[in-house]
Amino acid sequence: MFRLNRRNFIKVAASCGSILAGMGELSRVNALTGTLKLEEGGRDFSPDSGKERQAIPSACWQCVARDTILSYVEDGRLVKIEGNPASIRNRGKICAKGQAGINQVYDPDRVLYPMLRVGKRGEGKWKRISWDEALDLLVNGGDISGHSVKGLRNLLDEDHPEKFMFHYGRMIGSDSKIIKDNFLPAFGTNTIGNHTTICEGGKWVAQELIWGKHYDVNDVEHTNMILNFGCNFFETHTSHIQIAQRAINAMTERGVKLYTFDVRLSNTAAKSTEWIPIKPGSDLAVALAMCNVIMINELYDHDFIETWTTVTVEQLKEHLKRYTPEWAEQLSGVSASMIKSLAIEFANANPGTCISYRGPVAHYNGVEAERAFKMLDAICGYIDVKGGTCHGVEAKWKYPKVEPDKKPKQLNIIDGFPGDAAFPNHHVSHQVLKMIKDGRFGRPDIYMVYCYQPVYVNGECEENIQILKDEALVPFLVTVSPFYGETESLADLILPDVTYLERSSWDDMVCYDMIPEFYLRQPAVKPLGEARQFQDVAIELAKRLGLNLPFNSTEDFIKKSCEKSHVDYEYLKKHGVWHDPDEKPHYLSYTKTLTIEDYTGNNILFDSKTGVYWNWEKSKAGSIEEAVSKGYSDTENAYKGYIGQRIGDKVYAGFKPDKVNKSGKFEIYSELLKKKGFNPMPTWFPVPDIENKKDDELILSTFKVNVHTQSRTANNKWLSEINHDNSALINPITAGKRGIKNGDKIKIKSAVGEIIMKTRVTEGVVPDLIAISFHLGHWQYGRFASGRKSPFGADSDNDLKLKWWSEHGVNPNWLIRNRPDRIAGQWLMNDEIVTITKV
Amino acid sequence: MTTRRESSDKVPETTNKKLPRRDFFKKSGTAVASAAILAGSLSACNFQAKNKSKTKKRLAMVIDLRKCYGCHSCSIACKSEFNVPLGVWRSWVKTIDKGKYPKVKRSFLPRLCNHCENPPCVSVCPTQASHRDDEKGLVDIHEERCIGCKMCIVACPYDARFSHPTKKVANKCDFCIHRVEKGVVPSCVNTCPSNARIFGDLNDPDSEVRKLVDTNKVQVLKPELDTEPSVFYIDLDEDAVGGHITT
Repeated sequence: MFRLNRRNFIKVAASCGSILAGMGELSRVNALTGTLKLEEGGRDFSPDSGKERQAIPSACWQCVARDTILSYVEDGRLVKIEGNPASIRNRGKICAKGQAGINQVYDPDRVLYPMLRVGKRGEGKWKRISWDEALDLLVNGGDISGHSVKGLRNLLDEDHPEKFMFHYGRMIGSDSKIIKDNFLPAFGTNTIGNHTTICEGGKWVAQELIWGKHYDVNDVEHTNMILNFGCNFFETHTSHIQIAQRAINAMTERGVKLYTFDVRLSNTAAKSTEWIPIKPGSDLAVALAMCNVIMINELYDHDFIETWTTVTVEQLKEHLKRYTPEWAEQLSGVSASMIKSLAIEFANANPGTCISYRGPVAHYNGVEAERAFKMLDAICGYIDVKGGTCHGVEAKWKYPKVEPDKKPKQLNIIDGFPGDAAFPNHHVSHQVLKMIKDGRFGRPDIYMVYCYQPVYVNGECEENIQILKDEALVPFLVTVSPFYGETESLADLILPDVTYLERSSWDDMVCYDMIPEFYLRQPAVKPLGEARQFQDVAIELAKRLGLNLPFNSTEDFIKKSCEKSHVDYEYLKKHGVWHDPDEKPHYLSYTKTLTIEDYTGNNILFDSKTGVYWNWEKSKAGSIEEAVSKGYSDTENAYKGYIGQRIGDKVYAGFKPDKVNKSGKFEIYSELLKKKGFNPMPTWFPVPDIENKKDDELILSTFKVNVHTQSRTANNKWLSEINHDNSALINPITAGKRGIKNGDKIKIKSAVGEIIMKTRVTEGVVPDLIAISFHLGHWQYGRFASGRKSPFGADSDNDLKLKWWSEHGVNPNWLIRNRPDRIAGQWLMNDEIVTITKV
Repeated sequence: MTTRRESSDKVPETTNKKLPRRDFFKKSGTAVASAAILAGSLSACNFQAKNKSKTKKRLAMVIDLRKCYGCHSCSIACKSEFNVPLGVWRSWVKTIDKGKYPKVKRSFLPRLCNHCENPPCVSVCPTQASHRDDEKGLVDIHEERCIGCKMCIVACPYDARFSHPTKKVANKCDFCIHRVEKGVVPSCVNTCPSNARIFGDLNDPDSEVRKLVDTNKVQVLKPELDTEPSVFYIDLDEDAVGGHITT
């Protein structure tokens, strides 16, 4: 399908012009001698020697955007990172964080050798051990400072592989497939945790209920208007550079307007045509009122609504008529006239696109808000069209997958307490430690944490520490990390992972050109010390445990994936990226019609209730009779067998479901939600905590700045030099009422904790709210992050002597309760209520 | 007013930095004589008078602030390109908030050496280490001639210079001349996600910078000082022009 032939190669080669040209004549001529002609990038030189630096195409991993990069190496040292100009995704550009990735590799506080705890847990006493000793302990168990622990083999012998819990923060692409689709199933555990519900799990679940799989791509490059609800994409986004560069081009070159609703003047709000301050938790009301305005004014896309959604125009009008702009103004503080005019402008933009993110989503009504945003796009006919809101397009890698002898088992501690969340499609990670503490649903004997800081990134930091410190609750805590974070400081065994710049993997993040791009991450330098890529460690663990995997190294896995996916491995190594030059942008993929061969067969059923054709054998139905009697909607995992959607006399690809048995329609009316007792239509309901807030209380809002990720960059000296301290942002009116002046220290108190920090009285935040960034306030993670040297810290970096800041900020998570929203299990991080007093 | 070094001057061998065979250090008399440039439009004729030699270059940067969203990509590109020590910057971004809630505005001001045609840093340098290189078309520093007196740092009205913490000499942006000589744009230009930075030879009538300066209302910082910067801004916040510029 994606085979590289000679014709394609020439096209691709042309798109990689700047890299290839770099090898030619240009590199030898002083460009200043004639008319100055400069290349945009692809080459870099030492400012001291003038020598060309070696460029190694790779991929970033500072954040989930995973842009393509060129790593520049000089005398064996990684010195510079730029965007890969051959990439159609980030187009040769990379953000501040991406360039500071060098600081990850050379962090003087890195963990470079396997470390075994020798003192009490959390005491900070360690012994360096060999990899052989470390893996022997992990496989066979043993004694840790007088405390006996079970090993992986013991769990297999006891037939309790599920008591090995693997909890990761970031693990995507081939890194994930090697572990989640091979090592862990081969071992037999499905007790696998992630961290999605402290990010945007609610957004994904809303989308799964309404149109299928995330990610949503706002095609800002081709749109005519952007409505943005609480997303700070000029500073941070799952596709930050891709969306930011395309949005700013659209705005400056075509005059596209961007309106941002936010409780805070983020850089995105500041760069918008207009910042529209909005009361926390009320975005849903504004979106519903806009939908109402569009319906009343007959500006909707009649055909899309009637053909592709699960409602009629009349039903929508009837449902929405109560949501008047005047009603929404009362709730949101956004004027009715503004709501009306923006709604009409949006419907007439043709196309427009509605962006949203954690601002509205991390509220009690966040899933409903996200459904309303998608409804707003849908009723205007902006779904999957050029310039509208589209289904993300990503590289579909094929890869080796183990066929386990036994079905993996699971401890029921990853989806939250029973009744917590109706659709925990992305698990409920912030409840894992609470469930371990509770104990009713079992506890892992071995709790392995990978690229994740549960102590720091979840709320209720104090409780997290106490749980992980307790050997009775967590008998064996193993962390896999290149850094000495807060969680590592409580571990029994630390396995030093490589950084992403010493790593090999393939990757697949969505492309805003709507064309799949295959790309590779390859080491810029050899791993420092004895750091090992965990995927290779897992392969060795499998060998020690006698488990068979269909590959023998990470590199072997990548090569086999390339073969299966018909992607040229050597080409990828050389250029870092590949896309099929004949591929056209994947718009309107839901309208593809299926042939009769596609939806006929012995195992294919037609569900007359939903109009879905599905292959019952891919579901969990035991027999065809069971599948027929239960039907598509009520058969577990029926969505996995989804084939197409009948509409009239045709069968379409439709809006393919993911994780829930949604039909192939755009489900504005959701039968799935109705069955669980929720409103089937996007419906207003308030956030109880905000609704019940007393006058002297404030709402806590957290946010990200442009130079940090959530928990993994405070150790990057160049980033922390720009942003190492934070203040609580407070509106002058709110501050004035409390006698607080700019720079005053205040105590901020919630139901679960208190912190003390400086204030910044600013006009750029709504009243009755306090806003705190959440990347700082580390108490470990090395000297650049916290001022604290790790037990393994070296004095190898001259900049340690030049570090000029001693403040390291405050982490607001000490204040926030770990509570899930009732639909998706999304962490209600934006619903916390606090009081403040001047210190 | 004019300082000059003979082409036969030897370049000390202790430095790795490549220096041109001929260096002219010349402060432009015409620039001093020209009228003060007001914040606002710089018409093409302002420059025509000074473009006497077609062979000489004037490297320049236009920063289109309509496109800048203050991401600091340029700050880190520069930091890494030169491994700039902590505490000092050759390139950085200033953020300015103004207005009353809810009508609050924020503007971003990327900063770097202005590579002035009338550089105050050059005229105060007692050793001619700081110089305007008219062949290359920028203000540069011969590190081996710098005695670390910091006069230039004080003289620069833009706070663009600093004393390098380990080299103990004056340091600042040099438009990544080591890349430009090899035919590649400066690092900050390469990385700017929105292509807000446009770089080239202002003396080349066909260059993009020339065209942008001719066809847009461009501004410079502190025009009243007659330093004649080579860094031009499109859509500069007037408060930032007149205001106190700090890091």
